[in-house]
Amino acid sequence: MARNSHERRAERQWLLILLPSLVLLLAFVIYPAIYSIYLSFTNEALTGAAALRPRFVGLRNYTRLFNDAKFWNSLFVTFVFVIGSAVVGQFALGLISAIALRRPIRFRRVFSSIILLPNAAPEVVAGFMWISMLAGGDNATLSRIVSTFGITPADWLQVFPLSMIIVVNTWRGIATAMILLTAGLSTIPAEIYEAARMDGATPSQMFRRITLPLMMPTILLYMLISAVSTIAVFGLVYALTRGGPGGATEVVSIYIYNQSFTSFQLGYGAAVAVVALVISLVLGIAYVRAMKVEV
Amino acid sequence: MAVVSPSETVNKGRSDLIAYATLSLISIFCAVPFFWVLLASLDGDAQLFLHWPEQWTFANYVRVFTKEDGAKWLFNSLFVVGSATLLVMVLSGLGGYALSRTRAWWKLPFLYAILLIRVLPPTALVVPLYKFLLTLNNAEAAVLRPIFGHYARDIMRWTGFIDGYLGLILVLATMQLPLALWIMKTFFDGLPRDYEEAALMDGATLIQRIRRVLIPLALPGLAAAGLFAFMSAWGDFLLPLIFLSSPELQTLPLGLFRAFLRINEIDYGLLTALAFIYLLPAVIAFGFARRFLVQTFSGCVKG
Repeated sequence: MARNSHERRAERQWLLILLPSLVLLLAFVIYPAIYSIYLSFTNEALTGAAALRPRFVGLRNYTRLFNDAKFWNSLFVTFVFVIGSAVVGQFALGLISAIALRRPIRFRRVFSSIILLPNAAPEVVAGFMWISMLAGGDNATLSRIVSTFGITPADWLQVFPLSMIIVVNTWRGIATAMILLTAGLSTIPAEIYEAARMDGATPSQMFRRITLPLMMPTILLYMLISAVSTIAVFGLVYALTRGGPGGATEVVSIYIYNQSFTSFQLGYGAAVAVVALVISLVLGIAYVRAMKVEV
Repeated sequence: MAVVSPSETVNKGRSDLIAYATLSLISIFCAVPFFWVLLASLDGDAQLFLHWPEQWTFANYVRVFTKEDGAKWLFNSLFVVGSATLLVMVLSGLGGYALSRTRAWWKLPFLYAILLIRVLPPTALVVPLYKFLLTLNNAEAAVLRPIFGHYARDIMRWTGFIDGYLGLILVLATMQLPLALWIMKTFFDGLPRDYEEAALMDGATLIQRIRRVLIPLALPGLAAAGLFAFMSAWGDFLLPLIFLSSPELQTLPLGLFRAFLRINEIDYGLLTALAFIYLLPAVIAFGFARRFLVQTFSGCVKG
């Protein structure tokens, strides 16, 4: 009896000390998410007549969205951006780094520190660093490097904008991939490799038959985490190109920003935001299920 | 029998060489952009291009604080991000403790919810968030103005929700809360319960338990949660871009961004010095956070 009343009091207290976090999350995340669904059915705007008297417009924002070439372009750009930087670039370089750093070589700490460094750079700083690297003119760093290989220099961000933001985002995220994949690699027992070596397996056979299959759960989790966080990238691309030239790097987050705060069309921006929220949530639910949360 | 044959040592040497070569290439890729910021900030004749300075100088750093409002931006950033980090540490310490110990029905839904909240892109939330904060701000102004008259403006600079410290601090903190709560919950899961159950049986109040059990034991977890919150909030550009407008409240990312937009007269020495000042706390925090990185992510992997 005494224990029960103790426990009941304790349960009330747990809720009490969780309450401030709950209130903040409800007010500044859950409510805005729901509010954006409502906004997406109105013609809400920051300026003009609609700003004073917003009206309910039904599905008009969504039909407009469906016929908006710029919206489809931003979805496509986001897709290429996610595949190029998270699924291919960061994953490949992260995996290579993780495997190389497992060898008992010297300067391991130095190498891993340097690879972690880009992850620490604030978005705007990272953007400016790469504006310098990729600038036009023969003096820019990338141009000087490629011209030693006989390739003609270019104004990289103008000529290959999407490829370049993929390179920059890859640069920034190698560390995350490396850390996650290192953790995954360390769960594979060394005896399996020993046994395979005894049977005369080559390194590439071991990689394909042992490393990859056993790493699959980690790789899947990594793909979901990095896809979701790459969809959310804003500051880095904004500092580099602000979506240009001509929408070539206008990922969904930049498109939402431009619609809402440059064109001041909050209702339409909210409709785009709802699409982004749904895509992220679908990936997020897949992530939570794949993670098999045990609590 | 572990006999190393000559061919195997040759193989090992060759694979080590490949490892060195690939790691060096990746490291160069990762490090080169940083050289530009470091060298140009110490260069009397800084360019957009990476080159070795002919005249070394600290003048760029001095100018950040004398010619520009560098000191103000730095203070604003430190104040806003520091307050948000403290808030996150307090709230996630308490909340994580509750989430770890409770057996209530809401435990599982809440944990799923904070995982899902983490995947929502902030850009998709800022429009409704802006409208909501604007409403709060107007309501606050309507209350303060009759009471404080023209002082209300000064008060709103601190307590306003739009273009005020308070709003930005609260929103920045909220965005870091889910990860911090998760870190703290996992941390408390790893702490034995015997000690606090004894305290509970002795009739210790909640405050006593927090003071005697939670605070001393939770410090390593709080350090990790705080570092991650600091790094993420420090690097954030979107939220100050949208919620701040007056020059007195500018933070480092905004000052840096606006300095770069003065297309005709970009002062690269000044810009890179500013970037380096902005970069330094992030790199230091990252250095401290390093040992938590693996735990946090592998915690995610194991679930």
